[in-house]
Amino acid sequence: MKLKMIDATIERKTRKFKDADHYNLKKDGGYYLLPFRFHRITPEKEIIVNEVGDFIIIPTGTYKKIVKRQIDKEIDSELYGDLIANFFISEEIISPLIDVLATRYRTKKLFLNHFTGLHIFVISLRCEHTCHYCQVSRVTQNRDKYDMSIEYIDKGIDIMFRTPNPHVTMEFQGGEALLAFNNIKYAVEKAERIAKEVGKGLTKVICTNLAIVTEEILEYCKEHEILISTSLDGPKNVHDNNRNKPHASSYELTIKGIELARKILGHDRVSALMTTTRLSLDYPIEIVDEYFNLGFQGIFLRNISPYGFALRTEKSKYETDKFVEFYKKALDRVLEYNFQGYNFTEDLARIF
Amino acid sequence: MNFQNKIEANEIIVFADTSLYSKDSIFKCLYWYGDKYHTNVSFADSNTYKISIKPMTDNPLSQEQSEILLQKLGRDLIDFNLRDIVTKETKNIRDLLTAKAFSNGEFDELPPGELSDPVGFNVNEIKND
Repeated sequence: MKLKMIDATIERKTRKFKDADHYNLKKDGGYYLLPFRFHRITPEKEIIVNEVGDFIIIPTGTYKKIVKRQIDKEIDSELYGDLIANFFISEEIISPLIDVLATRYRTKKLFLNHFTGLHIFVISLRCEHTCHYCQVSRVTQNRDKYDMSIEYIDKGIDIMFRTPNPHVTMEFQGGEALLAFNNIKYAVEKAERIAKEVGKGLTKVICTNLAIVTEEILEYCKEHEILISTSLDGPKNVHDNNRNKPHASSYELTIKGIELARKILGHDRVSALMTTTRLSLDYPIEIVDEYFNLGFQGIFLRNISPYGFALRTEKSKYETDKFVEFYKKALDRVLEYNFQGYNFTEDLARIF
Repeated sequence: MNFQNKIEANEIIVFADTSLYSKDSIFKCLYWYGDKYHTNVSFADSNTYKISIKPMTDNPLSQEQSEILLQKLGRDLIDFNLRDIVTKETKNIRDLLTAKAFSNGEFDELPPGELSDPVGFNVNEIKND
């Protein structure tokens, strides 16, 4: 009778609660490797990265020990635990947790389902600014040969709609995109027509410094639900030094443009991006404050792209360490605003 | 036979046991030397690879440079061999992972164990309203 009762208890075991023995680590120290990569970063440190991008920085020589099965689950218990928890090793040939890893892998590669969604049209190479860090070749002469031709626009739209992605974003960049506004109108209207025919979603964005924006242009943007993305490098002294506009203050034109665009399109239809130059490095707090005070929901603290003029001019060059120092100060300021109860984001942190 | 790694006439020569080092790992390693060095792999005997690298420029390597290069090549060979071990050992699990990640449920299995409730209900018998 007594025996029978014990049997009944065993039968009542559930999937949720197992005996302690079930979780006991194997005594023989054997483990199986899961796929991961390795790279030396300094003479003292190396990094291992698993299939979904999780990484552990470990002392030099550890990788060899892992592969040679020399990590002892008791002596190196902390590392052993980290390796198990982060899918570098497994105690079973096929861990039941492989589904968790597979799901994460699927999520990470999800962009493959739809392919390219963002399509950038460099609609003009002309610009009325002469920013020293700009990566595009700028042609200030008022010549239409530096604008994207109708033929190329047609081809670009054709390629854009070949993507399997059910929603495409068409972004107009320059130079100064608004210098070729008639071509933008042509492209927007054509893309809208095709999007409707093929049943795809379409988002349109104009990247502009807003210096030459007019009410008429903005009314058109409103009618066609076009978003505006502008450049704002920080307070007046930083912005005007970075973004040189002959015979005018770029900062004042940008602020005026942002206000007008918000009035016509709506506050959340206008976004701004900043570029960090060597000068900007001295003003982390002021730059964050500028964005906050202008009512933006966040800031993207971007380091300079190492292309074109940015590489050639001494004015733009700086070391990564300096940028990191700048970034930390600026991010602290962003966090301060959040602690005060404001929802203010930093995009670089969001990406990583 | 016992072969000794050496620096000889501007050439770095190392030896690797064929039972310890895979051919794949040696070629993968030497690939990264291909931009600056002439590389060569041959058999010293039936159990030993002879691996040599020689700078493409005529400038002779200093003794110090040669020593550093010899050390680096030896270390890189070990690194690539270890990578090769991981790649080969985990090939099946990687294939399974990819298959599971991109399947539409064909490879999914029910979690092991009989489904029951800690309180004692048999969840399979609970009828939905």
